[in-house]
Amino acid sequence: MELVQNFPFFNIVMCLASGVIASILSGKNARRLSIGLVSVVGIMSTCVLGYVLKTGEFYTYMMGHHPAPWGNEIRVGVLEASMALFFCIIMLLCLLGGSKYIAQDIEESKLNLYFVMINLMLSSLLALVYTNDLFNAYVFVEINTIAACGLIMIRNNGKSILSATKYMIMSSLGSGMLLIGISMLYDLTGHLLMSNIKESVATIAANGEYTVPLTVVIGLMCVGLAIKSALFPFHSWLPDAYGNSTASSSAILSSLVSKAYIFLLIKIFYRVIGLHVMIDHKITNTLFAFAIVGMIMGSISAMKQHDVRRLIAYSSVAQIGYIYMGIGLGTTAGMVAAVFHIMSHSASKSMLFIAARGLSEVSGNSKDFKDLKGAGYRNKIAGIAFAVGAFSMVGIPLFAGFTSKVYFAEAAITASPKKMFIAMIALAISTILNAVYFIRATISIYTPRNEHFNDPNFKLAFTFRVALVLFIILNFFLGIGSYPIAQAIEKGLAMFS
Amino acid sequence: MNSNYMILLPVLLPVIAGLLIPVIKPLNNRNARNYYVIGIIALTGIFTVFVASLGDIHLSLWKMTDSLEIYFKVDGMGRLFAVLTAAMWLMSAIFSKEYMKHEHDESRYFAFFVSTLGVLVGLCFSGNLITMYVFYEFMTLLTLPLVLHELTKGSIAAGVKYLFYSMTGAFLGLGGFFFLSQYADTLTFTEGGVLNMTKVAGHEGLLLAVVFFMILGFGSKAGMLPLHGWLPTAHPVAPAPASAVLSGNITKMGVLAIIRVVYYIVGADFIRGTWVQYAWMGVALATVFMGSMLAYKEQILKKRLAYSTVSQVSYVLFGLSLLNVTGMTGALLHVVFHSVVKNALFLTAGAIIYKTGKTKVSELTGIGKEMPVMMWCFTLVSVTLVGIPPTSAFISKWYLGLGSLETGISVFSWLGPVVLLVSALLTAGYLITISIKGFFPGADYDYSSLTKQEPKAVMVVPVVILTVVAVVCGMFPNSLISFMSSLAGTIL
Repeated sequence: MELVQNFPFFNIVMCLASGVIASILSGKNARRLSIGLVSVVGIMSTCVLGYVLKTGEFYTYMMGHHPAPWGNEIRVGVLEASMALFFCIIMLLCLLGGSKYIAQDIEESKLNLYFVMINLMLSSLLALVYTNDLFNAYVFVEINTIAACGLIMIRNNGKSILSATKYMIMSSLGSGMLLIGISMLYDLTGHLLMSNIKESVATIAANGEYTVPLTVVIGLMCVGLAIKSALFPFHSWLPDAYGNSTASSSAILSSLVSKAYIFLLIKIFYRVIGLHVMIDHKITNTLFAFAIVGMIMGSISAMKQHDVRRLIAYSSVAQIGYIYMGIGLGTTAGMVAAVFHIMSHSASKSMLFIAARGLSEVSGNSKDFKDLKGAGYRNKIAGIAFAVGAFSMVGIPLFAGFTSKVYFAEAAITASPKKMFIAMIALAISTILNAVYFIRATISIYTPRNEHFNDPNFKLAFTFRVALVLFIILNFFLGIGSYPIAQAIEKGLAMFS
Repeated sequence: MNSNYMILLPVLLPVIAGLLIPVIKPLNNRNARNYYVIGIIALTGIFTVFVASLGDIHLSLWKMTDSLEIYFKVDGMGRLFAVLTAAMWLMSAIFSKEYMKHEHDESRYFAFFVSTLGVLVGLCFSGNLITMYVFYEFMTLLTLPLVLHELTKGSIAAGVKYLFYSMTGAFLGLGGFFFLSQYADTLTFTEGGVLNMTKVAGHEGLLLAVVFFMILGFGSKAGMLPLHGWLPTAHPVAPAPASAVLSGNITKMGVLAIIRVVYYIVGADFIRGTWVQYAWMGVALATVFMGSMLAYKEQILKKRLAYSTVSQVSYVLFGLSLLNVTGMTGALLHVVFHSVVKNALFLTAGAIIYKTGKTKVSELTGIGKEMPVMMWCFTLVSVTLVGIPPTSAFISKWYLGLGSLETGISVFSWLGPVVLLVSALLTAGYLITISIKGFFPGADYDYSSLTKQEPKAVMVVPVVILTVVAVVCGMFPNSLISFMSSLAGTIL
């Protein structure tokens, strides 16, 4: 066994450990520790990715040399490693870009707690990506929920506590359903390790036994994770949670937390139940239907918003719909599109959240579009980043969103005729709606008004600038150089089954 | 295979140079900026002609995914549209030099004005459907600030409307792209189409519907029914030189896109004699008639010209829908003539606004006495557009009529020429009346208050050049006709 193979396990433990360490550090040092940690984890994930790409096959890593059914495992393939790397990049950029606002929004004495949450969050994200054990996944889902609540609540004003409570209730409901699903599945199969469950499920399904319980299990797990990743109509917690927390939190929640759950769902599709069984139980069709409605309703709600943060949040609902639509197509091409959209949406959405915070900073900390008019001139880099993010969301060529739209459309064309027409029409409507509200927002920040907000002493934080420039580069990279990424995703999905 | 990076020159130069305008400090000076803009556009024009003269070159730039390749190719159709666009841009830029003095935010205007040219040249030289789509979207995005220029509530509403229609149209085109990619081996533009008939077999109905929706989608930019609604709203709110190129050239890009889809991807044979052809002819004729009627009733000059564009560009589309060489020749001739004429008309309207601030047709009584040179040009190009022999549009309309009769389709073959004639009468009604009132204001006109309002030479010269071109092309059209018909012959 090579050293590199240990890295995923090390990473998870490192994150947990530095969470503990951060709790006794000062806010500033905790911040340094977190940023350092995320960078190190990112570098190590790159090594792992390189290793898996080189060997061309996945490997499983047994914890403490206890074989199943007692021990638990993590499993590393191309897809897992690239997701881990991607999550690290986004998290690093979110932390860098929002660091000034974290310091503004959060009390000095609680600052280190924020970074404790960040470290826990990262550990749970990595664990969700890597784990090969369903129960382990559940444990880290809970850790993730708690960390996410902390990230929302730590701003410590009435609104954010209310949003955190909302999030807590909905999220616990989701975790509860997931747990019941897992327990029932354990009952049916007698296993908790994903590979073993899959074998048993295949036999059960082939023999035609336990059809109803299996459907219930699939339904519970899918709905549970759908609630947690804010698929329409379970999105009621989302606009508040994203709208009222500090900018980094919103960016992390929207681009990483919900995406990790979707990734877990994809894993369940491939690694636990098996794609064919899922399709036989019609769950793909159900998700597809919800996704289509979500794509359109999310955009319609977004059009009504006057608050920039809530607009971006509602657009997330629509974009999550896109991802579920890809999953719901039930084909490999659809899945590739969904995974690619996880990436492109994360990159664009986190950039939008950070940029929007920068824009409201130069508009008297208001989030209303009336005050944001002209903000694009007052904070140039934030304006450009917002425009790039908006174009990406609309799906203008060369930006990340366009590439995922292309993948979705190509996947839809090869799906069944009924789904093809529905998906194409939904894509068309949602693209046009996106264009209307996002470009209207962009026009509005570039309408020269509100000269009274001009402050000659205003200085942009250096980290903010760097983060946004990197975000923009990442966006163009996903838009133009997506070919190797899509190939890696395909390879990774092939390793899944 | 002669891959040639020269193609990128006229595409990238204006895009980069344009976007640099707000950044470079010395260009805050108005004079410096004007010369810079005109210089860049002239240079782009030279490069465009240069690239066009290099022969059939192509360039495979970048593969975005398996199916998406950024690919450029210079062919006859591309040359025609690219050179035309660059020439019109130069005229409009020279005019803008003076006109934009009474506007604000000149540097933003010129930044987008210049970079749009690069995108358009790129669109003309696109070698496959996805490259064309990329430039098509950027064309919408970069012209949006021109429409929004005033940043008043009305112009922003017009901009959003423009965006809505363009996005709808472009998505219809993109959706069609995905369908077509299933039934063709490649989506590189090839004369005669690229459909793989063995794959198509059994799916003709679906593909015909797809083609029809693509025509409607790209027809949105060309102001064809039913997605024409943005045009009369968006064109007039832009500054006049921008409206000129929006009406004269951007609409032609919709035409080019339709040509590419119908003649270079699907192939004319595939839709000849199907419901798609008939529906297309019907929609185009309806638009011709409706546009003229609305223009006739419209009282605001720039809006009237915009409606006239709706009607005139559909002449072109009608010619294309005939799917024969004569009709195609007429359509291509009309592309050139309408582009020249509409630029001249909008620039004249701009000059009137610039000097007198008058926007309504009713206020223009006696305008011919105030700015005689401008109004002479206006009158001449109007006559040209109406199609009175021996002017240019007469020739294009002649070919359109002939082509229509050649098709032998029962109703349309005679309905086409009739509608064209009626619309020509209406064109005379909405354009020539302005000249008549302008030059013959009537007995109750107060000659004592008459002041000479002739604008500066820099505004007059482009209009005069355009007028001369329009008239001369009508009198000596042979070389142009033979070029167009040989071009039409190669793709049909």
